[in-house]
Amino acid sequence: MLLKTSLRSFFAHKGRMALSLIAVMLSVAFVSGTLVFSNTATSTFSKLFAATASDISVQPSKPADDDEPQAGDKPATVPVALAQQIAAVPGVKTAVGQVMVGDAILVNPATNKLVGPTSGAPTLLGNWADTPSNPVKITSGHAPQNSGELVLDADTAKKAKLGLGDRIRVDNTGGQHPYTIVGIATFVTTNPGAALAFLDTPTAQQVLLGEQAYTSVEAFGDGSRSDDQLKADALAKVGGGYQVKTAAEQKNENTKAIGSGLDFMKYAMLGFAGISLIVGGFLIINTFSMLVAQRTREIGLLRAIGGSRRQVNGSVLVEALILGVLGSTLGVAVGLGVAVGLIKLMNAIGMDLNAGDLEIGPDVFVAGYAVGILITVVAAWIPARRASRIAPMAALRDHGTPAEARSNLVRTVIGLLLTAGGGGLLVLAGTADKAATGGQYLGLGLLLTLIGFVVLGPLLATVVIKVLGALLPALFGPSGRLAQRNAMRNPRRTGATAAALMIGLALVIGSSVFSSSAVSSASAQIDKSVGVDYIIGGGRTGVTAEMIDAVKRTPGIDHVTTEKDIDARFQLPDGTTKRTGIAAVPPAFFGTDFRLPVKSGAVESIGQGSLGIDEEFATDHHLKVGDSITVHYAGGHTQVLPVGVVFAKGSLFGGASFADLATVSKALPAAEQPGDRMFFAKASSGADVAKTLTALEDALKQYPQLTIKDQAGYKELVQSQVNTLLYLIYGLVGLSITVAVLGVVNTLALSVVERTREIGLLRAIGLSRRQLRRMIRLESVVIAVFGAVLGTGLGLAWGVTAQRVLRDQGLATLTVPTTTIAVTLVSSVVIGLVAALVPAFRAGRMNVLAAIATD
Amino acid sequence: MTTAAAVYDPQLPGGTSAVAASARQVTKAYGSGETRVTALDAVDVDIQRGRFTAIMGPSGSGKSTLMHCLAGLDTVTDGRIWIGDTEITGLRDKQLTRLRRDKIGFIFQAFNLLPTLNALENITLPMDIAGRKPDQAWLDQVVETVGLAGRLKHRPTQLSGGQQQRVAVARALAARPEIIFGDEPTGNLDSRAGAEVLTFLRRSVDELGQTMVMVTHDPVAAGYADRVLFLADGVIVDEMHAPTADSVLERMRRFDGKRTS
Repeated sequence: MLLKTSLRSFFAHKGRMALSLIAVMLSVAFVSGTLVFSNTATSTFSKLFAATASDISVQPSKPADDDEPQAGDKPATVPVALAQQIAAVPGVKTAVGQVMVGDAILVNPATNKLVGPTSGAPTLLGNWADTPSNPVKITSGHAPQNSGELVLDADTAKKAKLGLGDRIRVDNTGGQHPYTIVGIATFVTTNPGAALAFLDTPTAQQVLLGEQAYTSVEAFGDGSRSDDQLKADALAKVGGGYQVKTAAEQKNENTKAIGSGLDFMKYAMLGFAGISLIVGGFLIINTFSMLVAQRTREIGLLRAIGGSRRQVNGSVLVEALILGVLGSTLGVAVGLGVAVGLIKLMNAIGMDLNAGDLEIGPDVFVAGYAVGILITVVAAWIPARRASRIAPMAALRDHGTPAEARSNLVRTVIGLLLTAGGGGLLVLAGTADKAATGGQYLGLGLLLTLIGFVVLGPLLATVVIKVLGALLPALFGPSGRLAQRNAMRNPRRTGATAAALMIGLALVIGSSVFSSSAVSSASAQIDKSVGVDYIIGGGRTGVTAEMIDAVKRTPGIDHVTTEKDIDARFQLPDGTTKRTGIAAVPPAFFGTDFRLPVKSGAVESIGQGSLGIDEEFATDHHLKVGDSITVHYAGGHTQVLPVGVVFAKGSLFGGASFADLATVSKALPAAEQPGDRMFFAKASSGADVAKTLTALEDALKQYPQLTIKDQAGYKELVQSQVNTLLYLIYGLVGLSITVAVLGVVNTLALSVVERTREIGLLRAIGLSRRQLRRMIRLESVVIAVFGAVLGTGLGLAWGVTAQRVLRDQGLATLTVPTTTIAVTLVSSVVIGLVAALVPAFRAGRMNVLAAIATD
Repeated sequence: MTTAAAVYDPQLPGGTSAVAASARQVTKAYGSGETRVTALDAVDVDIQRGRFTAIMGPSGSGKSTLMHCLAGLDTVTDGRIWIGDTEITGLRDKQLTRLRRDKIGFIFQAFNLLPTLNALENITLPMDIAGRKPDQAWLDQVVETVGLAGRLKHRPTQLSGGQQQRVAVARALAARPEIIFGDEPTGNLDSRAGAEVLTFLRRSVDELGQTMVMVTHDPVAAGYADRVLFLADGVIVDEMHAPTADSVLERMRRFDGKRTS
């Protein structure tokens, strides 16, 4: 009986449910799409890794302690003799020494362009070894047989338009090495997007490792023993100096590594789902509130003839349940489309996944339905409770439209407390000394102000719209006045509708304040602290002496400064130890090339064997100029260095410690130092900076892995990095605004239905269709602008606080993106107009008489 | 209105200064073929200017349909209708809307007022919509006549049913329409409040020279009119001048008798 009423009422109002259905569907689609995608990716890769894993893999040992500094940046190796040792383990059929490194690049010598992926997936070079688990098979040509031959994978060859007999170059820190392509190897499994190239074993060892060694030994059993047994036997034989991994362990490890790469995608997608859930929730609340309001008499009648509160409550919730089930079903279906889209996107960036074999596990359905049904029923809870409170008397009461809901006192007080608390936290965050503390306050303050604004929504709607709307009667006459009053007549509804928009726009404004501050701060920092004219990044191979020479020889270059990032562990006078990096620099131009603001001490002390540390580090560990720090390097090298200078916090190189390269070299032999990751060049006085840049690019043409930037280019690089993050946020926001627009459409459409008689009356006494449509459009615009104003206010508060929190972390300059704010406010007007299109049209079409006659 | 259709046709009656609205051979039918229902069947009627006309008839007689057609709220299947000098049959929605706004006042049975506007705003709404300034002296007089002076700032929900109907009457009067149509304006009121509203309607005809057409099924209400038209099955079957509640009731009884016989 209850179910029958709910079903009938659901289908009687299916039009009014449509938008809520879309909202539920969108959220569920994102959740299930993300799950299908990551299931598919995980299964594809675990198949790949299962196929390519050896039975046991013997690898160099990992440092026991994470606090231990890492030696250089050379790949760790195992000795050649290990292969024979492993081969002798009982049950091992073959043991193959493998060389595989990721720190070299492939270059087409004809064009000086990189071959293989430029970002994301790696370029791997190794030795050609015939093993049962080779991911590739030579499909044309032959295996490399001498020091001039190379085998390239088919996908990379195709993309770079290279074939058998073509020349190719391998560049690494050791220099440039020319080869001829003698074989093309095709992936026998899914290509994860990497480029693979193979040399013969002696060449690989000499060129890629610079020593007679392997990066691992891969062993295959004869089937007489389990992998675990083999592992135990191998460990027993070679001792603890190596790590031995079974096939299953290799697979898990690799899957985990890929998984963490996919996690970013997953979290971004779940972010989308979360936003559409929150925003969709408001939409559902509104829909059910209005349905309940419209059905007041019906529910009163139900109560009068003996329906219990629980039955009334239940009937609304059952309707929500139906909506949830339907929306989830559609959502899961649409989710498959989302997954296919994601896979296509991954294909575009070089990861080879097959959209044909989607992995749809039971978790997709469980999560999809759980999310869809939960959000709907939870959102419908409040309206359902309100419905159950309707007195039987309501059946008898004559009414036109439901009574106007006033925002109540309790709600106002709670809202004010939350907002005030949140605001207080934001102020605390902005004034906190420590970024970490500030960050915590910021997070909590952000949450509280958001909830506070949502709770206060109805009150703010009354106040803000009274002010905002005061212009309307003056500008638009009676339509304006009616629109203003309509927007204010149910503040709770207006508040909930606008809240959805507010959340999206607060995110836009907050993140634009943050990003524009980041960009302008970085620019200001670059201007202030970077004394050099050119910054050259080493890419995958690192910097070689030839590159530095090429720069030095370029006309117009005054000098070159290099910087080495050396891993170290500081043993501090306060008894603690801290793993940190030392930027080792030649002291000659240190003071002018890196213009670090000095807090105490003298920059020159670095050239005299002292250490420069950051103010924050000094404060944290109670260090001052003259204190001594014991520095532990990799390989057990140690030296004691005095603190010579403390740099003021908030510099571009925030937090770094500096030392003279010569000082470091006294303890850490040059052979054990890592290569340079980047270097800097200063133009001679009087040289044309732009022309010299062109000359530099020309001189470094044969090193396509390098990124050469002048200061302006470097600023653009920073900006583009910030923008990448911003695009993701804009994507999120676009979605939430779409759902918010659906919410405004929903509210308006339901309001029009609810006000049928009123509209009929207005039309009867002479309101033209055009005036009527304008009235509805204006109401829509008022709601949208109200949401935008709240969102902008909230976003500004968040963004400014975030900047204050990070003022010493490189966000020193606050920049408020006025254009973005203006665009946001203007587009909220457009949002309102767009949302009103259909409801206004339908109201205009309404038959005057039918409208009056409606009971 | 200067369109050809709207120009008064001297061949037909209805345009003289004594007539505020007229209908000729007005037929209103719903559906077609076998399911065709004729609500009005070739009705001819003239509404005299400055008089109070009541339209009576049993349920389903077509009295409300006739009023809706006369007032330009509904379209006719056949026939022609004039408001003053303007023929309204054939007008487009835009022109009809303007006509309703400028020349016609309405009082409905219920739900006459916008809940978001206060009494005064409701009264001046038609002029607001038209973008005209209300004639202050006239407005004061109307408000005075309907006795609402103290309640102009009240919202409809703060007024009693009778007060709400009086606001509706004031709204209909304030714009000085050529003709006011009332659709059972006292149908929702108790007899005392009803009498009050009807007295105002009567006074607006007598003192303000207003033309009034009212649909009702209440003989007492019809007793306030100058003339009563009786409708049955879509046809005007009788009319009565200077009616009293008793004479109307008497006529209605005969009516019922005829119907049942």
